[in-house]
Parts: sequence; structure tokens; C-alpha cells
Amino acid sequence: MKRQKPTFLFASLGLTALLVLALVAAGCTGTGQKTTPPAATQAPQAVATAAVVPQSTAPQAQGASAPAAIAAPVSGEKQSIRVSGSTTVLPIAQKAAEAYMAAHPNADIQVTGGGSGVGIQQIGEKTVDVGMSSRELSSTEKTKYPGLVKSVVAKDGIAVIVNRANEISVISADNIKNIYTGRITKWSQVFGANVPNTNQQIVVIGRDSASGTREFFDKAPEGILKGAVPVKSMLEKNSNGAVTQTVAQTPGAIGYVSIGFITADVKALPIWYNNPNDAIAPTAVNVKSKKYPINRELFMFTNGAPAGLAKDYIDFIRSPEGQKIVSDEGYVSIID
Amino acid sequence: MVQQEPDNEKTGHYRNRNDSSAAEARELRERAIKAVWFCTALTAILAIVFIILFLVRDSLPVVRDIGIVPFLTGTDWYPSGDPPVYGIAVLVIGTVLVTLGAMALAVPLSIGCAIYIAELAPLTVKNIVKPAIELLAGIPSVVYGFFGLIVLTDFIRVTFDVPSGETWLAGSILLAIMALPTIISISEDAISMVPSEYKEGSLAIGATRWQTISQVLVPGALSGITAAIILGFGRAIGETMAVMMVTGNAAIIPNPVWNVLSPVRTLTGTLGIEMGEVAVGSDHYAALFGVAVVLLAITLLVNSAAVLILNSIRERQSGRHSRKKRTIMTGKVWDQIRRPALIGEFLLLAVFLFVALPAHAALLITAGIIAGYCLRNLLDAKQAERIAFTLIIAAAAIVLLILAVILQDIIVHGLSAISWEFLTEGPKDLGRAGGIFPAIIGTFCLVTGAILFALPLGVGAAIYLIEYTKEGRITRLIRITVDLLNGTPSIVFGLFGLAFLVYFLNFGVSLLAGQVTLGLMVLPTIIRATEEALRTIPGSLREGSLALGATRWQTIWRVVLPPAVPGIVTGTILSIGRAAGETAPIMFTAVVFSQRYLTASVFEPVMALPYHLFILATNVPGSSTNKYGTALVLLLLVIGIYSVAIYVRSHFAKKMRG
Repeated sequence: MKRQKPTFLFASLGLTALLVLALVAAGCTGTGQKTTPPAATQAPQAVATAAVVPQSTAPQAQGASAPAAIAAPVSGEKQSIRVSGSTTVLPIAQKAAEAYMAAHPNADIQVTGGGSGVGIQQIGEKTVDVGMSSRELSSTEKTKYPGLVKSVVAKDGIAVIVNRANEISVISADNIKNIYTGRITKWSQVFGANVPNTNQQIVVIGRDSASGTREFFDKAPEGILKGAVPVKSMLEKNSNGAVTQTVAQTPGAIGYVSIGFITADVKALPIWYNNPNDAIAPTAVNVKSKKYPINRELFMFTNGAPAGLAKDYIDFIRSPEGQKIVSDEGYVSIID
Repeated sequence: MVQQEPDNEKTGHYRNRNDSSAAEARELRERAIKAVWFCTALTAILAIVFIILFLVRDSLPVVRDIGIVPFLTGTDWYPSGDPPVYGIAVLVIGTVLVTLGAMALAVPLSIGCAIYIAELAPLTVKNIVKPAIELLAGIPSVVYGFFGLIVLTDFIRVTFDVPSGETWLAGSILLAIMALPTIISISEDAISMVPSEYKEGSLAIGATRWQTISQVLVPGALSGITAAIILGFGRAIGETMAVMMVTGNAAIIPNPVWNVLSPVRTLTGTLGIEMGEVAVGSDHYAALFGVAVVLLAITLLVNSAAVLILNSIRERQSGRHSRKKRTIMTGKVWDQIRRPALIGEFLLLAVFLFVALPAHAALLITAGIIAGYCLRNLLDAKQAERIAFTLIIAAAAIVLLILAVILQDIIVHGLSAISWEFLTEGPKDLGRAGGIFPAIIGTFCLVTGAILFALPLGVGAAIYLIEYTKEGRITRLIRITVDLLNGTPSIVFGLFGLAFLVYFLNFGVSLLAGQVTLGLMVLPTIIRATEEALRTIPGSLREGSLALGATRWQTIWRVVLPPAVPGIVTGTILSIGRAAGETAPIMFTAVVFSQRYLTASVFEPVMALPYHLFILATNVPGSSTNKYGTALVLLLLVIGIYSVAIYVRSHFAKKMRG
């Protein structure tokens, strides 16, 4: 028995080692070969995207040198960029990435959410190649990251959504504000609203404090709250999808999402300001014509003018083909 | 490191055969080996020092810009306000409430279940129930959260007729389920460890089994049960994903404060929901690190209390009373605290009942319990025993039922999603279609890296602690830090990874950062498992080997380690399971939502199963088949890993005995 033990030890060690090696080899394909330099490291072409004027030339140099620590010579095989930020822009970025990659077998576009704040921070710190944002840069962000260049990729409206069980058909901007500031707590206090089989309690759902959508809704002149403080009992969700999902699950809920996140599971309410008969629905047409007032633009930021794969990718989104994806996803095309 | 060791051993062997000219070299080598293990032991200390250092460093602006008093005592958390307000008292209260609620539910269930396993269950049933409860421990927190979000919150909304099911109650129920395995297994150990003479003596003088259990065994195991409850409490406080997904995250104090149907927000939930979004270097960022520091302080306090109690038990049992008699709780103390403890537990339960059930039902149950308590002296011992055993068996049944419900829901819904394509293709359409192949591979890479990082360090540290040192100041320091590391909430590891690896060392969001973060997280598990395994090796084996002229390292390598391998393997497998299921540590350090190619270098981010499930469950409406599929794959993966660990352990336990 004692003799067997060392054998067992070696056997198990050997097996573990084998397993590990196999995993590393099979799983993390080509651990050794370094590929995928971020786009910023490729020959920086000073070609600005249509809507963009580079603010200075210095950041381009920075952009070119920054992630070089991990970059190896371009093999001409794979190219990869990372895109992160606003969950509002995420579906556009993801769908466009899928379409772009289908046409370009060597391109790898990694898309992740996080929020506008994180997108701007990461592109500012150059930990990603493209930052998505559903809001403009704040003044502190402008001073901190002067090299950021924005490209408009879509137009968007923020829609107020309720559960399908709610009988309400239109809502006034005042009522939304009163609901979100806690002055109205029952659907019975809202004209036309009724949620059968409940006590009419309103479940207020909003976004987390780093969200661009929330900032627009809370603070922008076109927004609803115009600086008023939302009620403390508001349930906070960290993405558009989470808001839609919760509203769809909760009969008494009200929430706000980008119009790209309106699904058949929820009801998007037309909003009126002075006259109930002038209620405007949050549709792509109304957002495009700016008839629907809560509208904004969606951005992608690069550090310095876009270059390499990042440029091709952003150009693709802004092209008619890319803008068709934008429309298909429920957002509004920037092409007239 | 693993590959080099055989070489060392071989050369040592040859030199051993040579004459004494190599003695000096051998001495040197022995010292070098000792130094290596010492260094590995130091990593635990370094890790905790770095964690505290970086958390405190990044939270310092809180003191400067917000002020420590308003930060700790403020009841408003409103970072997007103008001016922003950062008061974490409301978050601390939310955390405490959710955890207390969880304990009110978990303590009676788990003690009942522990008594059942230790005393009542027939051996065959015990052999099924015990591993089943360990499986409950293996279910990843994000799967609990997913289940809570889809099933539990809806159930609460409909049953209690509240507008939204995302409530304190939902958080407490989930946390209670998650704390169950910890409390059950430690309490069960404590009850089993009460010397059998006590039990036999009690039965011999004519006490019924229930009298023996309630008057002899449970009071005898009280310290252990207390420690179990505190450890469960610590686990519940540090839990992130499940809580964040079901409590609604509204930063309010419930009104009235016992309103379990109010949404609340916990410290961990705040970190989970806001950390990824916040701009680095802002006040908000500093405030979140302040939250992490407070969270760490609370969990460390709670866990230190548990460790203190457990140590005193260990000292008593190993018969080393003489050095320091630190008896925390004796039978006398139990007599004193029994009444208040029972009444407290009863009140908590009553509050839950009243809110949870229609008033008349709650009244009926409460009256029943009070009547039972008052009339208990009128019952004869046999009747009391029958009632008590019924309750205990009910507790065990409830625990198993919970496990069954969760598994059934996920398996039934998940099976339809599983297909060859689902397992071998990348995600499409935001994960609604396509498969999860890159996430599976990403999880494998993360776990492999974490184990490669933690295994040598952990085994080395344990070897140093057990084989090279006597108990002293340094070993005590290392043990304390291992305990601290063990009690650190996973989200705090995530924050540390973000601050230190991603930003400070500039790894970026990458596989490597995730591997190191996960490795640090499982390090204490591996150290402890190895320590336990080495401790069971009798000293006479070592002495014999040393007496035959083997060096210390030869003794360790040839004599001590081989029989310890099963223990180490078990610890490692448990670590693998834990690392595979964790979301919070990798959420900010290693993962992306989607990628096309498999990750080609450790400096690139990966997809991972738990994160993918989290995103599908919370961010992507209309992905219901794929999210159940992902949950099922994750569940099967982790439970599979845990089953192997349980099997290895029981297999070798049998072998050792035989």
C-alpha cells in the first residue's frame, strides 16, 4: 500500500498536468502567438469621420503608442478591437459587429456593456478602442480626456414604458414627472390608467446613477425631471434591457428606456404636454422629425481620430448598410 | 513549479547515494526549498495587505471631500444628485436587515437539518442528504440570483399581492438558502463531535432521544453551532450577485422598518450595480471604495468572531486547556441566553409570518407556537419527542425540497435549449440565439489560470505552516490572514482586481487579471485543505523518515505529501467549482459581453459562463431559452465538479479507514 502511494501521487500530478496542458492548448488557442494589436497601434490615418473634427493632433500620437505594451507586429491575419460603454448603444454595436465580421473574416470586434461612464473612462484611459456613449462628454471628462473624438452613430428617443396590463394609452409629461418625484403613487391618480387586479400602486423603475439615459431623463432640458430628484423608492436597474424586463414582469411598473429597447412585452406611451390630443408616440419617425421631444444622439468615441479597424467599423455603422441595422434595431437612422 | 519538483527529487536522490561531499550543497538546497515555501506563505499576507492598501488608497478622497462622519452616518445615497450625496448608513441598514431576515429563516431550518443528519437519519438517507446539501453549496450565486429573479420575485409579487416582488424578503430567502449549507455542515460536525459518552450516559439514565438531543447534544455543540451561524452570517453579508438581482436596489430604509416587502439596497448590491459604470477618480468612485472598506471591515469582524469561537473549541478538544482557557460558551451560559435567544428568533419569525401571510393565518400559527411553548411541560416526554422529531424532519424535508425546486426549474427549462450548436457556437443576436461556446472556454481558461496560480502558492504555504515551523507569532499571523482572506467577500476581490491589476498594473480588462483575482479568492481554500490533509499524517511517519537519514524535503516529498494528495485534490476541486461559478470577481476585471474568436492571449478579455448568464438574465429581454440553457450548463459544470470532489473525499476516507 505504501508503495502505491508515490505512484498515485505521480499519476495524479501527471494527469493534472496533462489536463491543464490540454485545456490550455485546446481552450486558449494559440497562447503563444501574439496577435490582435488594438486598432490604435496601426498606422494612424488622419482621416476623420464625416461628423468629426479632431480637436488636436497630439492625441493621435498618444493613441498610437499607448497599448503597444501588448502589441506585436501585425501578422495580417487577425485584427481585433474592443468596444465598451453604453448599454443603449450596445445592440447597434453588437449587430453591426456581427454584420461587419461576417463580411470580414479576419476582424474580431469584442463588444461589452458597462454604461456611458465606463465607456468614456475606458476610451480615455485607452483600455478599449471604441467607447460607446448615449450622452455628450461632461465638462470634467472633456478636460480629463481632451483627445476624445466623437462620431454620431444613431439618433434615439427615450420612451416611457408600462406593463401591457395597464389600460393607460397616453400620459402627460407632468404626470410622468410627478410619478418619478413621488408625488403620484397610485395609477388611479393618473388619467386613463388602470391596472386590473392590483392595488394600483405604481412601481417606479429607473436606471443606475452612472447611466447616460438616466442623466438625460433626469437633467437634460428635453428630459422629464429637469433636475428634480427622483423618488428614493425607485428601483434601480443597470441597463435598458433590465428595465424592459422588469416592466414586462411587473403589472404596476413604469420605466424609461431607449426606443431601441421597446419590445412587444411592454407598452410605450405617447406623451402630451399641453393637450391630450397632441400626444406624440415615441416612434422612429417622430424622433427623426424631432416631433418627439425626448430625443438625443448616440455616440462612439475614439481616442484621437478613428484609425484602422476602429475606423472601418465606425464607417460601416455610419454607412447606409450600417444604418439599416440601426433602423432594424428600433433606433433612428442618421441618414435622411 | 509542478514540473520542476521531480528533478529536484531526482538530484537529491543521486546526491544521497554519493558520499558526504555534497552535504553542504544539500543543506543549502534544503534552505532554499524552505525559503521558497516561506515566500509562498507570505503571499497570503501580501495579498491581504495589498487588498486593504488599495481599497483604502482609492477611498481616501472620501475622507477629504465627503468627510468620514457624513459618509458613515448619512441616510441618503444619491450619487447623481446635484450636489451628489454619499451616505452609506442606509446601505449598511439594508445589508443588516437582509442578512438578519436570512438568518431568521436559515437558523431554525439548518439546525433542524443538522440534528436530523447527525442523529436521526438512517445511514442510507444520511449518505444521500449530506452530499445533496453540499451540492446546494456548490450552486453558483448567479444561478440563485437568476432563479430568484425569474421565479421567486414573481412568486412573491403574486402571493403577497405587492406591486413588485423585488424585495427585502426575496433577498432574505435567497440568502437563507445560500447560508444553509455552511450552517448545516458546521453544526452537524459540532453535534457529531460531542463525545459519545455524554449521549450514552444520558440515554442510560432514561432520557428520551429528544431529551438527550435538546439537553445534552445541542448544548454541548453550542459553540460550534454559534460559530456556524456567524460564518453563515458572514457569507450572507458578503454575497453580491443574488442579492443585487432580487432586492430592487432602492436606497431606502423600509418604512416601517420591519416591512419585509419593501425594496432595499445592500452594500454589495451598490458595488455590483455602480462599480462598472463609475468614472475612475471621481468622488463617486472613491465613495464606492469606501463602501468596500466598510463591507470588508464588517465581514472581517464577523468572521474573526467565528474564528475565535472555533479556535477555542479546537483548543478545548485537543486538550490544551492549560495554555489559555477561552471558553466562550458553556452550558451555564446557554441556560442564561436560551430564553432571550429563542424569544428573539421567535419575534423575527413572527414579523416575517405576519407580513408574509394573511393576518388570520399568521395569528393562528403564532398562537399555535405560543400555546405549544406554554404547554410543553404538560406533554409527556414521548409526545414532546414525537412533535420535535416531526419538526426536525420537516426542516430537513424543506431544505431538500428547496434544492429540488431550484434544480427542477432550471433543468426542465434548460434542457430544451441544449443542443450541439448551443455548446459549440458563438452567441448571436445579443445572446438570444447561437450558443455559448466562447463562454465555456473562457470559464475554463479563467479557472485553469486561477488554479495554476493558487495551487503552488497554497500548497507551499500549507507545507511551510505545517512542516517547517512551530506555532509562533509568524504562523499565527499567516493563519489570521488566511482566515481574513477566506472571509473577504468576492466583490471586494473584484474591486481589488480592478484597482490593482486592471488600473495600477495596467493589465487592462483581461484574462490574466481575472485569473489572478480568482486565484487569490480560492487561495485560502487550498491552503486550508492542504493544511488539514497534512495534519492528518501521523508525526511518527515523519520521525521515521528523518531517522533513516532523509532530509526534511525528502521526507515531505516522499512520505508526507503522497498520503495527503486526496485531501489536496479535494480542496483543489472545490476551488475549481467555486472559481467557475463566481461572477463578482471577474465582472470588472476579465469579461466581455461577446467576442468572435477565442481569446488568444492572457492580456485579452474573455467571455465567461456566470457573467453571460448574468447579462442574459438582466440585460437581454427575450432570451429565455438561452438563459435557461446557460444556467443549466453552468449548474451542471459546477455541480459536476463538486460531485467529483465529494466522491474523491468519501472514496479516500473509506480507503484510509479500511
